[in-house]
Amino acid sequence: MSDYLTPASTEEVIQILETYRGEARVIAGGTDVMPDIRRGRIKPRCLVDVTRIPGLDRIEVTEDFVEVGAAVTFAALRDCAYLNRRVHALTDAARSVGAAAIQNAATWVGNLVQAMPAADGAVIALALGAEARVVDSRGAAWRPVESLFEGPGVSAVDPTRQLITHVRFPRPARRWGSAWARVGRRPALVLPILNCAVILCLDADGSSPAQSGEVGKNAGCITQARIALGPVAPRPFRARQAETFLKGNRPTEETLAQAARLAQLEANPRSSVMRASREYRLTVILSLVGDALTVAAERARSNAPDSPQGWDEGIDRRATERSPTNTGPQGIQRPMEHRE
Amino acid sequence: MKISFTVNHQPVIVDVDPAQPLLDVLRDELGLTGTKQGCDYEGECGACTVLLDGRPVRSCLTPVGKVAGRRVLTVEGLGHPEDLHPLQTAFIETGAVQCGYCTPGILMAAKALLDREPDPTEEQINEAMAGNLCRCTGYTRIRAAVQLAAARMRGEHVPSPRPSGKPVVGGDATRTDSVEKVTGQAKYVEDIAMPGMLHAGVLRSPYHHALVLSLDTGAAAQLPGVVRIVTAADIPGKNGLGDYSQDEPVLTPEGETVKMAGAPIALVVAESPEEARAGAAAIEVEYQPLPHTFEVEDTLREDAFPIYEGGNVLTTDRVAHGDLEAAFAQSDVIIRTRYRTAYLEHAALERETALGYIDEEGRVTVTGGTHEPHWQQGYIASTLAVDPSQVRFITPPTGGSFGGKQDPWPLVATGLMTYLVRRPVRLTYSREESFEASPKRHPYSVDYRIGATQDGRLTGIAVRINANTGGYDGHGQYIANYAVTASGGPYLWQAVDARAQSVYTNGPKGGQFRGFGTPQSTFALECTLDELIQKLGEDPLEFRLKNALPQSAISFLGYPVAESLGYVEVLETIRPRFREFQEEARAFNAAAAAASPHTRALRKGVGLSGMWYRFGKSGSLRVEAHAELAEDGHFVVYCSAPDYGQGTNTVMNQLAAEALGVPREWVEVVNADTALTPDSGIQGASRATYWVGNAVCRAARNLKHEILATAAELLDHPPSDLAFDGSRPAKRARSPHLHGGYGQGTIRVAPRSAPGRSVSLREVAQEFERMGKSRRVIGLFDLSPSFPEEGRPEYVPLFVTGAQAAEVMVDLHTGEVRVTRVVAAHDVGRAINPPDAKGQIEGAVVMGLGAALMEEYIPDASTGLGDYYVPTIQSMPEIEVHLVEVPSFHGPHGAKGLGEAAILPTTPAIINAVSRVTGSRIRTLPATPERVLRAIRRARASGGGEI
Repeated sequence: MSDYLTPASTEEVIQILETYRGEARVIAGGTDVMPDIRRGRIKPRCLVDVTRIPGLDRIEVTEDFVEVGAAVTFAALRDCAYLNRRVHALTDAARSVGAAAIQNAATWVGNLVQAMPAADGAVIALALGAEARVVDSRGAAWRPVESLFEGPGVSAVDPTRQLITHVRFPRPARRWGSAWARVGRRPALVLPILNCAVILCLDADGSSPAQSGEVGKNAGCITQARIALGPVAPRPFRARQAETFLKGNRPTEETLAQAARLAQLEANPRSSVMRASREYRLTVILSLVGDALTVAAERARSNAPDSPQGWDEGIDRRATERSPTNTGPQGIQRPMEHRE
Repeated sequence: MKISFTVNHQPVIVDVDPAQPLLDVLRDELGLTGTKQGCDYEGECGACTVLLDGRPVRSCLTPVGKVAGRRVLTVEGLGHPEDLHPLQTAFIETGAVQCGYCTPGILMAAKALLDREPDPTEEQINEAMAGNLCRCTGYTRIRAAVQLAAARMRGEHVPSPRPSGKPVVGGDATRTDSVEKVTGQAKYVEDIAMPGMLHAGVLRSPYHHALVLSLDTGAAAQLPGVVRIVTAADIPGKNGLGDYSQDEPVLTPEGETVKMAGAPIALVVAESPEEARAGAAAIEVEYQPLPHTFEVEDTLREDAFPIYEGGNVLTTDRVAHGDLEAAFAQSDVIIRTRYRTAYLEHAALERETALGYIDEEGRVTVTGGTHEPHWQQGYIASTLAVDPSQVRFITPPTGGSFGGKQDPWPLVATGLMTYLVRRPVRLTYSREESFEASPKRHPYSVDYRIGATQDGRLTGIAVRINANTGGYDGHGQYIANYAVTASGGPYLWQAVDARAQSVYTNGPKGGQFRGFGTPQSTFALECTLDELIQKLGEDPLEFRLKNALPQSAISFLGYPVAESLGYVEVLETIRPRFREFQEEARAFNAAAAAASPHTRALRKGVGLSGMWYRFGKSGSLRVEAHAELAEDGHFVVYCSAPDYGQGTNTVMNQLAAEALGVPREWVEVVNADTALTPDSGIQGASRATYWVGNAVCRAARNLKHEILATAAELLDHPPSDLAFDGSRPAKRARSPHLHGGYGQGTIRVAPRSAPGRSVSLREVAQEFERMGKSRRVIGLFDLSPSFPEEGRPEYVPLFVTGAQAAEVMVDLHTGEVRVTRVVAAHDVGRAINPPDAKGQIEGAVVMGLGAALMEEYIPDASTGLGDYYVPTIQSMPEIEVHLVEVPSFHGPHGAKGLGEAAILPTTPAIINAVSRVTGSRIRTLPATPERVLRAIRRARASGGGEI
């Protein structure tokens, strides 16, 4: 017989974890913890449910960050109006996780702690340059999400001692675009053969490569690029050479294609009997990354201040959204204008 | 730990381990068995979906501790038989319920969707349902049902798509058992708990091939809760599954070899499932591993390790006639191909489950899904060395089969345990166990050599088929015959030499699976023909028409077929849509090729396939059913045509009602219980409607004759003027939608000319008793006079035909394929229940799509629904079904067999469509993104292809 506790604060969580000396474990949605218990991979004496801690169910947009609490489900991400306007890659990634009934329970933070190399939540977190607020008995610290993955299924966060209370990523700037791409053996309810998240940020001046020649030297150039891929390495992977190559370049067709080729060279996927061979994965990375970069670049351009939509138009900067867990049913996402 | 929450608006308090899945608490503690478990608690099937505070969640992944203080809604809280939710009504009316096992979870997902989105788009429905697997319906009717319910809930008046159910035959008959299924009331075996019930665990071989050196059950027997351990030594009778050519042992004894992983060695009966599993794990076995292989090519080699003493070939079959070399000599084109298919798993949402107990008459009674209750009765009796009369087999509501539940093993094992412990015992496979130990579709390797003349006439056909039957027969002995039979199709050939062999390997045992050995041959034939057609520059449809087998011509088998052939009719039916698909694809591809190169590289392809399918496999040409005038004056039909979701209960009810000339509500169907019903033969080969239906019709007609004759005497009125009086009986049906319950009021016989004078059926029944006349009469359908013993082929050549066209979208960069549209035309002879017939075809199309693109069981790798990909609603194409009615010579009202045949053309139609896009043929199933991309690159390398 185990215990199931639903503490009301982070401090209480830490106290409970200390009391149980490694035999208690943090649980959020439970969609990964439950199979792990059933298969005997973990044998917690106490489950510490963090989804009812006030505030952790919020998606908060501050001046500098988008901050997502540990109780925020993939459904909440998928349905968040702000994210649907500004961070398409994140809502699309959330929509890729299992199926609706999984998305209603599974949390982004939980997905990160599982540390699987193909986890949709991990790949998108890398592309967003996300950080996690890790709390334990010694205090709280923001750590880059990327630093938390130690190997396949091995996280630096120990859920018997620690918890992640929030994930945050830099608030999308002007001329910022993101994209999500995924290949699988069937269209839904399946782990990916490959998944890919990219973000691109263009230079503050100028709008499109076609007009850029007339403006300043760096106009329309890529100032920031992040390309994340899974499962192409033991951990969720960033194609750093491709990212470096992109910086300072204009997002032309050739440049983006070259970046995709670099990502292909950097990646080191394995063959999987059930999903696909290394060769297939390497081949497809090229078009997957290429397509994602193209979409992200288009979105970055259309987010320019002189574009019809303006940037952040209609967004209340203090706007926060609650996870639907506590607020009841919300509408599922209608097809969006920017979806491919 | 005490946890309180509300379930279906009622507060409950349970005292359980809070880490226990909500699913188990609902089912075991609260008795709410409407919520199902299908995937070993991994969240992969959706059958356990419930609403938590209004949102759908997987109850198998939800620790019950999490729901404290919250609201849970299950299917039982959605609506009641007397007060159905609009979704439940819509599911019944639309025909969205077949086996019903996925239905509760799907209803809950649908409810949550409609609560927040009253007018959902198709895309929204697909997204909301993507996590709920259904193996029967093909999802088409599920989506339609959600749309129908949504419209009604918005206040729109939408009449039932099945307004009257009239005429009874050929009308839109609502299923007899849908109300139970949509309300969670239907009791599948796993939902039945009996006092003192024990649970079974199975010790299975971890080796693919090994000698069992020793077996020590001592330690296991001492474990808490273990009641009995059963090994081969405990089997009183025959340790082999009856009429399997090389007996597959029920349990492998010491000193013998196990020939596949998962082969059972011992059974453990214990107080709980956990203790049973622990007991099985504690049995000590010493194995000597032997060489193993999953490939037929390996076991056929001269120096191959013998899996059986008699050699690795189980059976062979051959059809040969005409001068093949002469036929090839006149051919302008000869094509050679080799096609390969994969191991397929049925993946019915309900896993193998059986419950055994001793009934009130002391019989060993087993209830579980099967296709042939009387055969199981015989197998169990021979294992126990008792007379079959001491064994009873009852077929319960069954959560899908597709042939999978034809494996007698779980049923025989349950009978054996029950006999030994004399207490109720339930055996339930885990999904992983089901994957490892249940029979699979036989993988084939098929080599063709086919000739044709320049003007597109087929000449000679040579085919060699190796069917992989795995470690055991599993009825693979018959596969060679089916493989050969299907390999020539409904075409006219000058000369034939077709050979097939069923070959042992150490893979999972092959077994029955929708189409039994014919989809693989059909796939290879129809794809080879398509290659030939491309080579000749012919049109796929005209070519098939040109070569279609005339009704009385010598068929591929060497003699004419014995049923009406509707192949030309189905091809003509499909023609307009096929042409439309072709036109649209040409236009789409031209536009796509002209578009900028960095837009997604999508191309459309269109493929066609025909098929013939031999239905109604003979065994006996004489089938029996009974009709009874019950003591209380209603009609009862007795037959053995198990309903595992395909709707035989409803068809028999319709046919009997039609023959009696009474409403369906008056006729009760008692189906597939060896203590009550006659042996109507095996329900294989899509024969239920044709054979059993015929016998039911005859029984009902005979009963009507007997009743009217007696009533005529009682009324002193000529029987020709008598009729059943339909105005008086009150329905006892539990809801307006349940048409299966029988009327409880008084049914009367009255003269048409003088309705005032009448006699009740109760009085007629009493008169029967008084006269010593049996109230139960027999109906026989006997084709043996039509096919006299001398000269009768081994299988009576009853064939049904169909054709399908598929439209696909191929991503040239990733190799991903989406099937966008399928048009299916099938000659059904006569549709007894048209919406259900269409539902069978839609389900078959989606199952055939799975085989074409994603399904493959890989020994040592596949473990369950998380890595064996069956289509979700997101894979569902737009399906258009045409029921072509070319009346049969012998079937009831002209009906023919359908359920299996419909899967045959789907896979080749899809693969032909994909291959025409890639430009290089895909000859190995499934066409995974990787295989498709390889074909695209192959074609590019050789400069070929349409792209």
